[in-house]
Amino acid sequence: MNKEKQIDLEQALKSSASERPASEATVKPRTAESRQAESRQAGPLPSELQQEGLQPAEIMADVKNLELYYGDFHALKDINITIPERQVTAFIGPSGCGKSTLLRCFNRMNDLIESCHIQGEIHIKGKNILSPETDVVSLRTHVGMVFQQPNPFPMSIYDNIAYGLRCQGIRDKQLIAERVESSLKKAALWEEVKDHLNRSATRLSGGQQQRLCIARAIALQPTLLLMDEPTSALDPMATSKIEDLVEELKADYTTIIVTHSMSQAARVSDRTAFFLLGEIVETGSTEQIFHKPEDPRTEAYISGKFG
Amino acid sequence: MSSRRKLNDRGLLLMSWIFSAISVAVLVVILAYIFRTGWSVLSPDFIKNNYRSDSFYALLEEAPAGDFTAPAELPEGAAFSRKFGFALSDAKDKQNNDVTQLVYLDSESPLNEAIMDSAGVDLAPKGEAIRPPEGLIIDRIQFLDAQGEKAEVGSKKQMDAQSSIDLLDEEAASLVKYHGLTMGGGIRGSLLTTLILIVLTLIIAIPLGIAAAVWLNELAPKNKTTALLRTGVDMLSGVPSIIFGLMGMTMLFEITRLFGITEQSIVLGALTMSVVLLPLVIRQTEEALKTVPVSMRMGSLSLGASRTQTIFRVVLPQALPGIVTAILLSMSRIIGESAALIYTMGTAIVDHPQLHRGATTLALHIWKVMSGEQPDFQMAAGISIVILGMVLFMNLITRLLLRRFRRN
Repeated sequence: MNKEKQIDLEQALKSSASERPASEATVKPRTAESRQAESRQAGPLPSELQQEGLQPAEIMADVKNLELYYGDFHALKDINITIPERQVTAFIGPSGCGKSTLLRCFNRMNDLIESCHIQGEIHIKGKNILSPETDVVSLRTHVGMVFQQPNPFPMSIYDNIAYGLRCQGIRDKQLIAERVESSLKKAALWEEVKDHLNRSATRLSGGQQQRLCIARAIALQPTLLLMDEPTSALDPMATSKIEDLVEELKADYTTIIVTHSMSQAARVSDRTAFFLLGEIVETGSTEQIFHKPEDPRTEAYISGKFG
Repeated sequence: MSSRRKLNDRGLLLMSWIFSAISVAVLVVILAYIFRTGWSVLSPDFIKNNYRSDSFYALLEEAPAGDFTAPAELPEGAAFSRKFGFALSDAKDKQNNDVTQLVYLDSESPLNEAIMDSAGVDLAPKGEAIRPPEGLIIDRIQFLDAQGEKAEVGSKKQMDAQSSIDLLDEEAASLVKYHGLTMGGGIRGSLLTTLILIVLTLIIAIPLGIAAAVWLNELAPKNKTTALLRTGVDMLSGVPSIIFGLMGMTMLFEITRLFGITEQSIVLGALTMSVVLLPLVIRQTEEALKTVPVSMRMGSLSLGASRTQTIFRVVLPQALPGIVTAILLSMSRIIGESAALIYTMGTAIVDHPQLHRGATTLALHIWKVMSGEQPDFQMAAGISIVILGMVLFMNLITRLLLRRFRRN
């Protein structure tokens, strides 16, 4: 299962890749030395988090010295970040800065891209998921993902949510029915769809579809939920519903959300990491990042000088 | 607008009008010809009957005369025998000769208790009872008159139906035997062969083609070897089918021989047609797989589905409309194919197709009736109508299926 590399993701990546040169041009390239120095300063290591009062038990995921290449392109450079449990962490930054790429590392979706290779470690609950022994299929049941475009399967609402469970070989109809109901309730969709669970999911509105995708992901009771710009295809009303939902899910799930909208990051997240050209420039509490950024580049981005 | 531009526009418009009119006209002329020539032979019998005309004698064991009453409604021009309870009428056989045909048979008639005297006839084995079917040509009836002398009536004796029956009712004391001829000229065997070939070929070609397409599109590494393979598949679809026929005759024949089939056979035809169809099925299925968005695969994988589960539960169901189209196209291709089958199934028209024997499809049936010294245009056109009907029917079914898929 480790070699699921064949499906063509290049297409899916094309949009961000095409924007890459533009953002590269806006900021001067720096040397490797200064980069390392900066990231050490910017990206808080677990020890730093502990200084903030976090215990190791409260750490969901820990990325250590991650380097990622697409062929010759160095997409992620020496990434170090710690994701605390039961909090929302937002990844912000201009297009093509690597935030979605890092997100996809947490459930190894980058494995699907043939030209992609990764060095470094990502520990989720203390286990290095980048090691070759990791069972990728079972990893993905623990790490749920919601995509940019709502992508419900063209089957009934019920079957969409039962899909993940059935793929695990769960046949118990009662258990499935319970999970379907509880995940739809958690995703704040139950009231809207409870009377027509057998209707095709593709007939739902965009916002409903996205909440269905969230329900589908949490039906597997993941420990970590990844959201890749979940509201970029939605109207403001649907967006605010999803944001409320992210807020509510915090009680049970650790969420990482990639977003283009700084206001969204400010609204929903507890911690924010600012990405630029494949590096994490600064990580901290959302409060601090938005009000007292330490790095001038963060400040420039937040205040809208580029991006 | 300058007048020159106007003139140009008009000219181009006129040209497209003329050319589309020509193409429509050609189509109409072909259809009109086929329907005008073939319509007259179309009848339930044409579809139902054997191609071969069976000729046989049936013994009546000196069936004595009785007393029968004519039924209320007899077909126009039918002559009813009061002594023996059947009616004959004048008709034309396939060679356009005048014949006398059985059009009514009383349930008590002695003709019901005849014994088949010829071997190898479909109606009954030799020595068994034979009940003459309606429409049977009875061109000769032998009887004994009151003096015990043998005499005959029927079209073989240059008598029409009325005079045969008149003579019979006047002189016959008992019947001895009759000579029957089935009409023949039907396409039942070829129709059956076509259906068998379609089913058999699809059973082989569809799973193979889908599997190959899944491999090419989902599993194979995206490199030059795969691209080369794909090009190879594309090129195969351009190979004339007669070459596949030759290949079937020489190579696939060795496969059927392993199963003890040592002649041209429907199985061999199906194997050959599968090879002919593979490129089409692979290409169609691959196109269908390509229309399934990458986001569906990612969604499935992100939910902890394995790659196989993703393919079988998410990707293939969504490619189903394309696969159905592939099946329809394959069926049409099988119905229309002749070159690849001449070598592998032979050209002998058979009324009772068997898997391990040669037979003709409808298209080959046309080829056969047109290739003799006296081409039978009528029959060929009749079969053409049947083929057109089948293709139309399949088109409708697919449309319905596709519409249903789209609605879900």
